[in-house]
This record gives sequence, C-alpha cells and structure tokens, in this order.
Amino acid sequence: MSSTYAIAVHGGAGAVPRAALTPEREARYREGLERALDAGYALLEGGGSSLDAVTTAVRILEDDPLFNAGHGAALTRDGAAELDAAIMDGRQLRAGAVASVRHVRNPIELARRVMEKSRHVLLVGAGAEEFALEEKFQLVPNLYFRTAERVEQLEAEQRGARVSDLVPSTRGTVGAVARDTAGNLAAATSTGGMTNKRPGRVGDSPIIGAGTYAKNGVCAVSATGHGEYFIRAVAAHHVCTAVEYRGLSLEQAVREVLQVLSGLGGDGGLIAVDRDGVPVMQFSTDGMFRGARDAGGRREIAVY
Amino acid sequence: MSHPFKPALVYLLLAAPALAAAQHPVALVIHGGAGVIERAKMTPAAEASYRAGLGAALDAGYAVLEKGGSSLDAVTAAVRVMEDDPQFNAGRGAVLNHQGDAELDAAIMDGSGPHAGAVAAVHHVKNPIELARLVMEQSPHVLLVGDGAEEFALEHGVVLVPRTYFRTERRERELEEARKAEAAKAKAAGITASGTVGAVALDRAGNLAAATSTGGLTNKHLGRVGDSPLIGAGTYANNATCAVSGTGDGEYFIRQVLAYDICALVAYRHLTLQQAVHEVIHEKLQRTGGEGGVIALDPAGHVAMDFNSAGMFRGARDSQGKRVIGMYGDDLQ
Repeated sequence: MSSTYAIAVHGGAGAVPRAALTPEREARYREGLERALDAGYALLEGGGSSLDAVTTAVRILEDDPLFNAGHGAALTRDGAAELDAAIMDGRQLRAGAVASVRHVRNPIELARRVMEKSRHVLLVGAGAEEFALEEKFQLVPNLYFRTAERVEQLEAEQRGARVSDLVPSTRGTVGAVARDTAGNLAAATSTGGMTNKRPGRVGDSPIIGAGTYAKNGVCAVSATGHGEYFIRAVAAHHVCTAVEYRGLSLEQAVREVLQVLSGLGGDGGLIAVDRDGVPVMQFSTDGMFRGARDAGGRREIAVY
Repeated sequence: MSHPFKPALVYLLLAAPALAAAQHPVALVIHGGAGVIERAKMTPAAEASYRAGLGAALDAGYAVLEKGGSSLDAVTAAVRVMEDDPQFNAGRGAVLNHQGDAELDAAIMDGSGPHAGAVAAVHHVKNPIELARLVMEQSPHVLLVGDGAEEFALEHGVVLVPRTYFRTERRERELEEARKAEAAKAKAAGITASGTVGAVALDRAGNLAAATSTGGLTNKHLGRVGDSPLIGAGTYANNATCAVSGTGDGEYFIRQVLAYDICALVAYRHLTLQQAVHEVIHEKLQRTGGEGGVIALDPAGHVAMDFNSAGMFRGARDSQGKRVIGMYGDDLQ
C-alpha cells in the first residue's frame, strides 16, 4: 500500500455573498481553516493516524467562533446551542456519534469516546451528557457556546429578516476526512445545526451514512448542507456504494450525489478522500469553506 | 366443445384493463424482532399468543392495502398494532433502560419521495410511529429527539402518557436480571437479544414504505439510539429499489448502513432482493459478529425475510393469497 497521506477540511457550505464577506473576515476564515488543516496534516506527517488527524482538525474548528460547531455554534429557537457530531474509523467501520448535547465543549471528542469506550454508536441529549460525566468530561455552561454574532443572527431570523446573506453561515458544519500512511481512512463532522432550529432537531452530521462515513479501501466522506436531504439520500454512504459497487471515481460519485440532492431540492457540499489519498471537494452552493493538503505538496484553501 | 379457447380469449381481452389493475401486486411483511427464539424455550401458550399478535398486525396492515390504501398507511397500522401489544419490544411493553424507563425510537419512510420521519429517545409518546409520521408530514425535519420531539408532539395535539404506561412486569423482571448480570459481569441469560417491530409494504399504486419502532436494548444507557430511527440503517424505502426494516444488534446495522446497503446492492450490483438480503445478513453482518434480521420488499412484490439469529417473529401477506406467520429458524422454508 502506498504511503500517501492527505487531509481535507470544510467549514460549511452555503450562500457566501462576497459583499458580506469582507476581505478581513475572509482572511480570518482562511486562517481558521489553515490552522485546522495544518494541525491535522502535521499529525499525518509524523506518522499519526487519520483518526487523530480528523479529531484534531475538527476540534480546532469547534473552538473557532467563526464556524458553526462548538464555540460559536448556531442557536436554536430557544436561544441555546445544541450540538451534534460523529466520527468514523474506516478500519473496522467503528463509529461514534452524539446529538443534541448542550454542555460538551468539544462534541467531536465525546463522539470519539462513544466509539472507543461504549458499546454504542449514537447517544443523544441528557444521556450523552451523563456518559460524558461518567467519562470524566468537564461540562461547560451553554453560554460558553453563544457569541454576539449568533444571538444577532437568531434575532434577525426570528424577526423574519433574510438571514442567508449573513456570515457566518446559518447552517454550516465543520468536518474533516483523512488518509494516513497506513492507508486508514477516517471522517469526522461537527455542527450546531440550523439557526432557529427546533430543539431536538438532528441533522445529517451525526448520522452514520448520511453526513459522515469512512470505509478503508473505498472512501471517507464528510458532508455539509441541508441535512434533511442528506439523511433521505443517505448521502455519504451513497458516495461510498457508488465507488465500491459501480467503480465510479470518487469525484464522479460526489458529483452524482450532489445531483441526486439537487433533484430532491437540497443543496450543500461534501469533502472526501479516496483510498489512495486523493481529496475531492465539491458543492452545489455559492461556496464552501474548505481546504486540502497532501503528501504530494498540494495545499489549498478556498471559499468560492 | 368446439373452439374451447375463443370465448375465454375474448373474455380475457375485454377484462384485461380491469384485471391488470386488480392484479397489481400488493404485499405486506412484518417483523416482531429477532433473537433467541427457540422451540425449547417457548410454551404452546406463548407461541399461540405471539402468533395471534403477529396475525393481528399483519391483517390490520393488509386490510389497508386490500381497500386500495397506501403502503404508508399499511405500515403505520401494522406497527401501531404491535406497539400496543405488550409482548413486543415497542410502545407498551418496550424494554426498560438503565433508569427503568422505556425510551422509544421509531422511523417511517415513504419510498415515493423519498420522504422520511423519525423520533428517538421519547418517553411519553404512546405510538412513536405516529409521531415519526407527523415529523415526516408536518415538519421540515427528518429526525427529532428527546424533549424536543415531545414538544413537537404537544404542538401537534398528541396526547402524552405517563412513563408507567409502557412498563410491564415482564420488562421489569428482565431489567432486574440484566442489572444482576451486569453486576456479576456475566451475560444475562434467557433474554432474547433484541426485539423491535417493523413493517414494509407495497401498495396498488406501486409505492413502497417501511416503518420500524423499538424500545431498544434492556438496561441500555440513557440516550442510546439504535438503528431503528436512522434512515438507511434500520429503515429505508425507495420505490426504485426496495423497502427494508431491520431488527438486531443496532450498532452493527448503523455502522454498515445496512438497510440502504441492501437497496444499493439491488440497484448497483443487480442482485435479486433475496440475494442482496442474504449477502448483507449472512456475509457482511455475520463477518462483523453482528446478529439480527430484516424484512424486505421490492417493487414487484418479492418478499425477503432473513436472519442469522435463532429466530425472528415474522409474517407476510400478499394479493396472491399468501398469508404466513413464523418465528423459528426452520419455519416457512
């Protein structure tokens, strides 16, 4: 097996109007994506696992208030942050996910703990937080996640103002996919969901096969966009089955699923990496905050 | 007896359109969970009771199809009957979590959309399958969980019931045994691995639908969600390929996106429904150490009911006159 390694990250897809994204703000987004990309890449370069690389990249994006995950997540109609995350290890199809948690600083780390320390894949709500406490996670108040920008966004949406022109995106997501030198694939996704969402609403991010999937020898996928459509289309697994059963290239498979989603009326984007470590980043929206870096020297950060 | 065929031919030609409509196949398949279901462990009375419960669900769903109703209404009706029947692990009589409460998950999918609705970790909803259907039809979302799902239920006029409604003596006893076994770090004996109820249907218009409802695992961690309410894992329907409802070790079904995988094998590898189900259950699930079963239907009305556990409560009825109910490994062969 070749020793190629690669990582791709995304910080959400959506309407990214150039007018709303000033050069200063765009620079800050690019810096945030770079930090995540390079931290994940450094682990791969040092012989680390794809699982550690995607965890690290997503944790950095969760901590960055610009992105819709962790600190700075979009708020529910009740004004609270409610977070979802999932991680998958392509080696043995191990997976962990949490949904509707309100007091976990880095949901991606809790998702990973669910994968590694519980016999379950998905824990939700108060039960997920109970598990976090059992695993010695220190919970944080819900206010930790709230930023002035997200409060304004929620108020604007509740006034009935058009919010699609606002940056940061009102329904972004963060994610990472990677291949390590051992050929192992991994995917991770984390989100606050949609601004003004109904409490308890769970999107595609924490659903294995919808927003997150990884299978060694096939591909690793992390999605962002209108979650309900990605769930119905089983989008991430659609990409993997198209590659595995029909022999499509990863790029063809990703383009196909975006078409399927458009047919259903949904838009968004996906990042993916194939078994040889070739990254693919595609979207049907105006833009997607994204970055990719591989052992061949490619290093790319893009918005539009 | 001259020209014996002519009158018949004329009759057939005249009646062709009506016959074609009447003969478009309709079918319903149900399951009531897979696990350690063995003759040696079953009393005649218990067996008769399970058969009666499965028969009631099968006939309630089939009656909808027979009257020209939708596959969506048929699977809802069949699953609701099993949710209300305390012997199955869904709705009343669902297994209890570590805290001693029933914590319920359900999903429904309409293969003509595809549209889907699901709820997870609800504690006060009498018929979770009906709430899942409300999520599909009355919200822009697919999955609602916990308190948020119950808030949605109240907003839509669903009457909530106390937690005690779901609890039965048998499930309290099972939880007690599971807790003792956990304390002794042993495997609980005599408890069927996992129940769940589900239905798939094909209606006269050619639409497929799938529905699944469950209480999950005995003594499960608060907040644990299995495959049943996850679209693609335990529940999937697509008019172009197939409809599937699963039961078994949920975590394995989630990781393998099992229900969707069956339909992908049908669509992409051109396997028959039976072949796809066989490959997924007896090859892929078996290889990873997972146990369980599925029921499935394709657009032509072909039925698959397969499992790698000792048995699976199951039944099927179609417009060809078939009506079967089984539970053990060697039934319906």
